[in-house]
Amino acid sequence: MTLGYVPGDSLAHRLDPRSKLLVQVGFATAAYAHTTPRGLAALTLLAAGCLWAAAGDLDDLWAYRFALPVLLLAPLVAGATLGEPWFRVDRAGAAALASYRVLLLLVVAAAYVRSTPVRDSRAAIQRTVPGRAGAFLGVGVGLVFRFLPLLRRDLLAAREAIRARGGGRLPVHERMRLIAVAGTNRAFDRADRLGTALAARCLAWNPTLPRLAFGPADYPALALGVGLLASAATAAI
Amino acid sequence: MSTRTESVDLVGDEAAVNLTRAALFAALVGAFAYVTFPNPVSPVSVTLQVLGVFLAGIYLGPVWGPAALVLYLVAGALGAPVFEGGSAGVGVLVGQSAGYLWSYPLAAGVVGAVVHRGTALRDPAAAGLVTLVAAMTLGTVVVYGLGVAGLMLVLSLGPVEAATVGALAFLPAEALKLAAAVGIVRSDAIAAA
Repeated sequence: MTLGYVPGDSLAHRLDPRSKLLVQVGFATAAYAHTTPRGLAALTLLAAGCLWAAAGDLDDLWAYRFALPVLLLAPLVAGATLGEPWFRVDRAGAAALASYRVLLLLVVAAAYVRSTPVRDSRAAIQRTVPGRAGAFLGVGVGLVFRFLPLLRRDLLAAREAIRARGGGRLPVHERMRLIAVAGTNRAFDRADRLGTALAARCLAWNPTLPRLAFGPADYPALALGVGLLASAATAAI
Repeated sequence: MSTRTESVDLVGDEAAVNLTRAALFAALVGAFAYVTFPNPVSPVSVTLQVLGVFLAGIYLGPVWGPAALVLYLVAGALGAPVFEGGSAGVGVLVGQSAGYLWSYPLAAGVVGAVVHRGTALRDPAAAGLVTLVAAMTLGTVVVYGLGVAGLMLVLSLGPVEAATVGALAFLPAEALKLAAAVGIVRSDAIAAA
């Protein structure tokens, strides 16, 4: 199951995407500034609260399972030493806290992804980043969301076709080459047709964006984000 | 009822094509995250993402290649399932793979700059074998250098420990991707380049 936007009416769904992004940045900074058992315990409650506010549950975290091997392995590798005492608990403990911190960051990210539609994210980035850079990011992000499923299907079809022709017996780099050629050609083909079509339809650097406005619930969220940043700053001083 | 008028600032034809190419390449690197191959030296399988980074530098050049990868990172941060295993979110950009991900635009820029010898694009097939291999070797150094540095910072590991966790098992697979990329460029198989 992939992590994605789920329509809903939870508290997080009603928040402005900009305040949710600020909370995430604040949370990440605070997690790096307070990597202590006490700090991370407090942040665990906050992360669980974020996921709860987005009506999410543990299923949403399944997409992050690929991060687990490295996060579990890191404390073991950090603790292992060549020679006496073979395993240093203090080093392993520090690495375990660092690994746990990454897990918390992923939980908060899942809450954002679950509760924010692409259109709002795009508007948030385009309103936050000024000028053409913001317009480029906004249009580009919209296109990435739109074309990712199509290109995934192209690659899957190429893989099936290669397998059907006995490609399983080819060396790995040869199979990589065939799939990459098929994928890149399809991507360029789609891009050139789309580019012409967009130019013909008057693609503008200043399109009309959906309205974004801070509501009453956004002010506590913004305060939370600023508070987290401030707590990280005081810890750093 | 009030009305509002605004002038429209049109995107030029060439910029529109460059923009869509960058966006589609970003989506392609994301789609490559789902294509896994067995790793010759480790049970952890490898994806084609780094090959996508090389190809972005080679075919889009040192300006639009990094732009495509910046789009990839922003789209992933905002929820497009383009990171390893279909994950997404700001958390991934500050998590254990942060160093690798942030290195992608830089690596594409390095590969593009070496292959095209400047910002003007030239036919990548005209670049010699040595140039291609050197460009991608440099790109790999950037990706793994920053990736291992990221692991050290994020997971509080020492340099040797970080390299053990994050580089040793994957470098042989990078050689395969490099061979695949050289094969792609020299076979003239990419029609639109």
